[in-house]
Amino acid sequence: MADDGDFDDYDDDNGDEFFDEEEPLDEVQDGQGDGEKIELLPHEDIGQAVDKDKRITTPFMTKYERARVLGTRALQISMCAPIMVELENETDPLQIAMKELKARKIPLIIRRYLPDGSYEDWAIDELIIND
Amino acid sequence: MVKEQFRETDIGTVISHVQFTPFSAKDIAKQATIQVINRNLYLPDSTHKACPYGVLDHKLGTSEKDKKCDTCQQDLATCIGHYGYIDLELPVFHVGYFRACINILQMLCKKCSHVLLTSKEKADFLEILKRKNIPYLSKKALRKKIHEKAKKNNLCFNCGDFNGVVKKCGLLKIQHDKFKSAKKNESIIKDYVESFNFAKEFNKEIEPLINRSHEILNPLRVLQIFKNIPEDDVPLLLMNPDLAHPKDLILTRILVPPLCIRPSVASDFKAGTTEDDITIKLTEIVFLNHTILKHKAQNARIQMIIEDWDFLQLQCALYINSELSGIPLSMQPKKFTRGFCQRLKGKQGRFRGNLSGKRVDFSGRTVISPDPNLRIDQVAVPVHVAMILTYPERVNKSNIEFLRKLVMNGPDVHPGANFLLQRGTDMKKFLKFGNRAQISKELKYGDIVERHLIDNDIVLFNRQPSLHKLSIMSFYAVVKPHRTFRFNECCCTPFNADFDGDEMNLHLPQTEEAKAEALVLMGSKSNLITPRNGEIIIAATQDFLTGAYLITLKDTFFDRANACRLISSICAYEDSNLNFDLPKPAIFKPVKLWTGKQLFNLLLRPNLKTETKINLRTKGKNYTKNEDLCANDSFIVVHNSQLMCGALDKGVLGSGAKNNIFYLLLRDFGEKYAASAMLRLARTASFFLMNRGFSIGIGDVTPGPKLLKAKQELLNNGYSKCDDFIKQLKDGKLQCQPGCNPEQTLEAVILKELSVIRDKAGDACLKTLDRHNSPLIMAICGSKGSFINISQMIACVGQQAISGSRIPDGFENRSLPHFERFSRIPTAKGFVENSFYTGLTPTEFFFHTMAGREGLVDTAVKTAETGYMQRRLVKCLEDLCVQYDMTVRTCTNDIVQFSYGGDSLDPAYMEGKDQPVDFKRVLSHTIANVLTRNEKPLSGSQIMTIVENTLSNNEFRECSTDYLDQIKEFMKVIANGVDKTRRLFCVKEDDTAIPEVLFELDRITDSQIVTFLTRCKDKFIKAKIEPGTCVGALGAQSIGEPGTQMTLKTFHFAGVASMNITLGVPRIKEIINASKNISTPIITANLLIKNDAEFARLVKGRIEKTYLREVTQYIEEVFISDECCIIVKLDLERIRLLKLEINIDTIIDSILASKLKIKPPQITAISDQYVKVNPSAKGALHDSMLKLKHDLGDVVVKGLSKVNRAVISMDEKKANEYKLFVEGEGLKEVMGTHGVDGNFTTSNNTIEVFETIGIEAARSTIINEIAYTMTSHGMSIDVRHVMLLADLMTYKGEVLGITRAGLAKMKESVLMLASFEKTTDHLFDAAFYGQEDEIYGVSECIIMGKPMSLGTGIFKILHNHVKKSQPITRSLLFENPKFHTNQLQLDL
Repeated sequence: MADDGDFDDYDDDNGDEFFDEEEPLDEVQDGQGDGEKIELLPHEDIGQAVDKDKRITTPFMTKYERARVLGTRALQISMCAPIMVELENETDPLQIAMKELKARKIPLIIRRYLPDGSYEDWAIDELIIND
Repeated sequence: MVKEQFRETDIGTVISHVQFTPFSAKDIAKQATIQVINRNLYLPDSTHKACPYGVLDHKLGTSEKDKKCDTCQQDLATCIGHYGYIDLELPVFHVGYFRACINILQMLCKKCSHVLLTSKEKADFLEILKRKNIPYLSKKALRKKIHEKAKKNNLCFNCGDFNGVVKKCGLLKIQHDKFKSAKKNESIIKDYVESFNFAKEFNKEIEPLINRSHEILNPLRVLQIFKNIPEDDVPLLLMNPDLAHPKDLILTRILVPPLCIRPSVASDFKAGTTEDDITIKLTEIVFLNHTILKHKAQNARIQMIIEDWDFLQLQCALYINSELSGIPLSMQPKKFTRGFCQRLKGKQGRFRGNLSGKRVDFSGRTVISPDPNLRIDQVAVPVHVAMILTYPERVNKSNIEFLRKLVMNGPDVHPGANFLLQRGTDMKKFLKFGNRAQISKELKYGDIVERHLIDNDIVLFNRQPSLHKLSIMSFYAVVKPHRTFRFNECCCTPFNADFDGDEMNLHLPQTEEAKAEALVLMGSKSNLITPRNGEIIIAATQDFLTGAYLITLKDTFFDRANACRLISSICAYEDSNLNFDLPKPAIFKPVKLWTGKQLFNLLLRPNLKTETKINLRTKGKNYTKNEDLCANDSFIVVHNSQLMCGALDKGVLGSGAKNNIFYLLLRDFGEKYAASAMLRLARTASFFLMNRGFSIGIGDVTPGPKLLKAKQELLNNGYSKCDDFIKQLKDGKLQCQPGCNPEQTLEAVILKELSVIRDKAGDACLKTLDRHNSPLIMAICGSKGSFINISQMIACVGQQAISGSRIPDGFENRSLPHFERFSRIPTAKGFVENSFYTGLTPTEFFFHTMAGREGLVDTAVKTAETGYMQRRLVKCLEDLCVQYDMTVRTCTNDIVQFSYGGDSLDPAYMEGKDQPVDFKRVLSHTIANVLTRNEKPLSGSQIMTIVENTLSNNEFRECSTDYLDQIKEFMKVIANGVDKTRRLFCVKEDDTAIPEVLFELDRITDSQIVTFLTRCKDKFIKAKIEPGTCVGALGAQSIGEPGTQMTLKTFHFAGVASMNITLGVPRIKEIINASKNISTPIITANLLIKNDAEFARLVKGRIEKTYLREVTQYIEEVFISDECCIIVKLDLERIRLLKLEINIDTIIDSILASKLKIKPPQITAISDQYVKVNPSAKGALHDSMLKLKHDLGDVVVKGLSKVNRAVISMDEKKANEYKLFVEGEGLKEVMGTHGVDGNFTTSNNTIEVFETIGIEAARSTIINEIAYTMTSHGMSIDVRHVMLLADLMTYKGEVLGITRAGLAKMKESVLMLASFEKTTDHLFDAAFYGQEDEIYGVSECIIMGKPMSLGTGIFKILHNHVKKSQPITRSLLFENPKFHTNQLQLDL
C-alpha cells in the first residue's frame, strides 16, 4: 500500500538537515507589517439577524434543510409531541413528519448562517419546497 | 453554528478547542498521584502482587478484572486511570523537541541566554508578535525569519560574548563549535588557546586537539541556558510564555501513564505475565536512574556516569519514539518496541485507526446475491441478521400496541424485541427471561424498546472500497429467509459489486434524525445519478439488457396469452393493482399478435391515465445509417412513451449515458417514476428470459468450415507479408517511418499487419454467426462481452502484448527457446493464431499467460496508487462547502470560489454536456406532448418575438444572462430552420393560396414555445447548487474514483509521430502533486503565420537545438609543418534546407560562447564555408587537438538550451494550419522567439506556466490538463469538479500540491494535519508553538465527535413558537377613577 508507511510515497522533502522546508512565506509576513492599510469594518454587524425583507438566500428549501427538519420533527413526534395534521393510520414518526412538511405545518425555524456570522431566519411555511 | 445533536440531559460537555503545550515538570507532578521509584514490577514473593511505587502499582489504576484501583476504588470498566511520575537523575533531551532545542540554541547567546538580535530588531519583532491570533503558518514563517537573523549574529548584543555554530553531532547530542567562524588570529582564539597553557604543561596530548576543540552542550547545560532566557525574549522564540517555557523542552521528569493503556496480559500457558513495551521501558528508565544514583554515591569515574547518562537519554528517547535512526550498533535495542509515536502513527495508529474511523455497533456483513424482484430501494436482510440488529424505538401513542406485541414476542421470534429500557431507570431489561406478558402490559410512553429490524426500516448499505458517495446508500430493509443480503442488480454499478462472493456491510441508523437524513440524502432513489458528470448510474444491467433487447426485436411477437402473462409480471408492490390498457394488436389475422415493442410501451406508460410521456431520438449501439431505416433496427425513437422503432440496448437502458430512458423519466417526472420503471423492466426482462431461455454452449463458438478457410487464408497472407517485411529489413530496404529506426519500423508495420489479421478474422467470424447466437446477442445489446471476445473464442486470439509492444526476448535473443535466435516472425513474438475453441499451443499459451500476468500486476499496483491519491484528494478538499451566500469556502472561511464552478450549478443536474439543459431534446419533447391543433404554426420572425417577449418576463430574472443568451441562440437556429423550410417550399405567411398542409412543416406554435421556455427556466433553477453541499468531497471523489478505472498505461500518441506524453494515473498524480519536473513537458506554440509550412520550419530552426556536428560536412584536424588546426566545413546546402538562420559569423560566436574556452585569436573564418580553429597552447598538442575535434561537434549553434526537440504539427481539423510542439522546458524563451505567437503559447507544465505567465494561467493549465487526461481515457468528469480542485491548488497565490507539504500550507488545524501524515511531527510542533485547534474542519470534528458545519450542519433549527395571544390587559382596580374617593384621608 502506498500510504502504509505514512510517507514512503513522497519522501523527497525529508532530508535530515534541520531546515529543509521550502521558502518562507514572506508575503504573509509582509501583509502583517502594513496592517494600517487595512480598513476594519465596524464590529457591530457581526452576528446580527438579517431583517426579513433584506434576506438574500434562496427561497427554496435545500435538501439538507429538508432532511434535518424531517429528522428533528420525527424525533419530536416519537417523543409524543402533538401532531399538527390529521393522521390516516401512519405510525412511523418519519412518515408523519413528511406529511406535516407537505402541509407546511412543522413549527420550526431554519436559521441560516452567512459566513460573516449574521443569520437569516426562515420559517418552514416561507420556504418553497420542491417535490 | 454547527448542528447540535440531540443528547440526553445528564451529559453536557462539548470540546470547544484543543490546546497543545509541552508538559512541564511541575504540571507532571500536579497530574500524578504517585512518584514511581521502585524498579521492580512485582513483589519477589509468590503472591504476584505489584510492587508499591513500581511501574505497575495499582494506585495507577487497574488493568485486571478482579482488582480494583487503589486510588479511586473503582473497577476496570469505570476507573479512568491515574498518572505517576519518575524524576530523572539527570535531565535528557526530549526526542520530539530535539530539533526545536537546537533551533533555539542557534538563536541564543550561550553565555547570557539572550536572543542574538539587536534591541531594535527585537522590538520590531515583538511588535509583530504582540498581535493576537497570528495564523499558524505566519508563526512558522516568523520563527524561521527570526531564526535566520539571529543565527547570523555571532556576537551577543547583550554581553558581547562570541557565539559559534550549533550543530547536531551524533545521536541526540549537540555541539557548539564556538570558534569555527572566527579567524585564526583573532584575540578571542588566542585567549582561548592560552587558557590551556597550564594544562599543556602537564599533558602533551592536549596540544594537537586544542584547535579542534568544541563544546558539547549536554542537556544539563542546555537546561541552564534555557532557564536563563529572559522573560521578554521567550516570545521571540515563538513560544507562548503563558503556556510554556523553553526549559520545558528538556525532560527532567517523565510521566508514567495509567495501567489501562499498557495492560499486563496474564498468559494461560506459562506462569507470569506479558508486559507492555511501555511498562518495560519505564522499568528500564527507573533502573538507570538507580544506577546513576549509585554511581554518583560511589563517586564513580565520570565516564561511567556519562555512559549511564547516554543510555538514559536513549531509553527516554525510545520510550517516546522507538523508530529512532542513527543509534550506534552497540546500543541498538534488541527487538522492536512500540513507543508513543508508533502508537499514534500510521494506518493502524490512534489517529487513523481509532479516532478518524471507529468500530461501530449495529452493523452486519455477509455475502450478497441478486434479486430482480426487489425494488431498487430495497435490500433483503436475512432473519438471522434482523434479530440481532435492533432499533431503540421510543414508546408513544401511535406505536404502543405494536411495541407491546414485539415485547411479547421476545428476542427469539422475528418481529420481536431484545431489550427494554424503562423510562427513569438506567437498567436495560433483557427480554429473553422474565414475564414478557407482564412487561408488555406495563409498557408506558417514554420507554425505549430495542426492537428487531423490521420491514421498511432504513438501513445503510455499503461495499468497500468506498470510493465515492454512492458506495454507501440507504435502502429499505425487507426481512427475508436465507443467509445473504440481496438487492436489485440495477444497484450493482454504484457499488461496483458483482456476485462472485462479494460481501457487503449493513448498518442500522439508531435515531430518528439519522434515519431521516439517511433516507433523504443517501437513499438509493435520490442517488440514481452520479455527481461526477450527471449521468445515470443506477440503471438496467446485464440480463435486463438482454431481455429488453430480445423483447424489442423486430421479430418478437406475443399472442394474447403470452402478452398478458408477460405484462402481468409487472404487478408487484405499488403496481400490484395497476390497470393496463393493452393496445390494439399489431397483427390481427390469423391470430392476434402484439409486438414486443408494444409491450415495452406498457412499462413506461401502463395505461392512458399515466402522464409519463417521454420523447427520445437517438442512435443505438449498432447504428448504420438512414436514421429510422437503419438496417440493424438500431435507431431508437420514443414518441410520447411509444417505442416507434429500434431495439433497445445498453445506450438507452444502461448506466453511463444521458439519452437513457430512465434518465428522461427521472429528469422530466421524478425519481419515483424512474425507479418504478426500472423495477418493471427488471421483472419483465427476467421473466421473459426465464421463459425463453438464454444460454451458451460449445455450439455457439464452433467455427464453420467457411470461416476456417477464410481464416487460414488471412493467416497465410499476413504471415507472408510479415516475412516480406523481415526480408526487407535484412536487405536494408525497409522504408523508415518518421522518427523511427528500421527495427522500430519493422515492429510497427508487423504489429499493424497482425492486428489487421485479427480484425479481419473477427469480421469474418461475425458475418458467419447466426443472429440467434447467444454471445453475439450479448455483445450487440451490450449486456456482456464485446465483439473482440467473440472472435477470440471462435476465430483467433490475436497478438499478445506486454507494455504495448510484442513479447520481448526473455532468452538470449529470442522470446522462448522454441524459436530461432533473432526470429521476428509473428509466432515467435507472441501472435496467437488459434482461438480459445481450437486451443492454444504451448508457446501460445505461455505468451498468453505473460500478457495476462501483466494485467494482474497492473491492477495490483494501480489500486494502491489510486487509493493513496484519493486519500490525499479527499483530505485536502473535504471541508470545502457552498455557503448560503453561494461562495465556496473552507472551514476557516477562506474563499476558494466566489461562485461554485463560475455559475453555481450542480454537476448532478446537468442534462447537456456541462450545461443544465439539452435544449434540442427539451424542445422536441415539448413539441411532442404539447398538442395545439387549433393554434397557427409560427414563422421564424414570429418565433423570435415570442421568445424575446417571454424571456423579458420577470420570472426569468432568476436565470443568468449567459443562460438566456444560450436559449436565444438556440431558438434563433430553430427559427432559421423554419424560415429555410418555408423558403424551400415557397410558403409565404399571408399567401392564402397555399395549401394549409405546407404550414405544418416544422410546425411550432406559441404555447409550445412558452412551455419550452418555462421548462428551461425550471430546470435551470432546479440545477442551482444548494447551500451546504460539500462540493469539495464530491469533487475529490469524482476525480479519484475514475482514477481507479484508468489503466496504468502511460504513453499515448499525441497526434505527431514519436511524440509521447504521459497519461493516466501517473499524469494525474503529476498534476495534483504540482511536480516541478514532469516526465514529458511539452510546449504548444502557435505561429504568427499559421498556414505557411516554410515559416514553421524557420521557427522550428530557431527553437530546436542544432549542434555544429549536424550542419557540417566534416570536422577534420590538419597538421601542416608550421601549424596544427581543425578545419570545419559547413554544409551550406543543409543549412539552407533546414532554414537555419546561421552563417559563419554566428557559428564562430557560438563556438566562442561555448564552454570550450576558445579565445577569439584562435578562431578564424577562412571563407563563408570554412572555419579554422587552433588548439589552445596549453597541454599536449595532440590530445587537445583530438579533444577539440570531438568537442566542436557538440557546440550548439542555434536553438534554446533547455529544449530537446521541436516538432511541426499540422492541425487535424483545419488543414494547412501548422503549430509547433516543443519538447522540454523554457516556456519564456519559446514565447520570446521571433515568429511564435506568444499570446497563444502554453505548456503542460503547471509550475512553469505559473512562473512564466502567472497564477491564473497555472489554474487554467491544471483544469485543461486534468480534463485532457480524463477525456483521453474516456472518462467524463464535470469541469466544475476540476475547476474546484484547480482553484484550491492556486487560491493561496502559489501552486500548492495535493501533498503533505501543500496541505500544511492550506490548513491550520493540527489535528487535521496530524491525522494525515507525519502525525507526531505535527503534534510536537504544535506543542512548541502552543497552537490551539478550534475544531472547525471535518477531520477534527470526526476526531472530537462533534457535528460538522456542512451539509445538514450549516444551519440551525429553532422552534417556531406559536404566537400566544396577548392576554387582555385589565386595568388596575385603583386606576379606575370611579373608585377614587377624594374624601379618604390617611391618618399618618
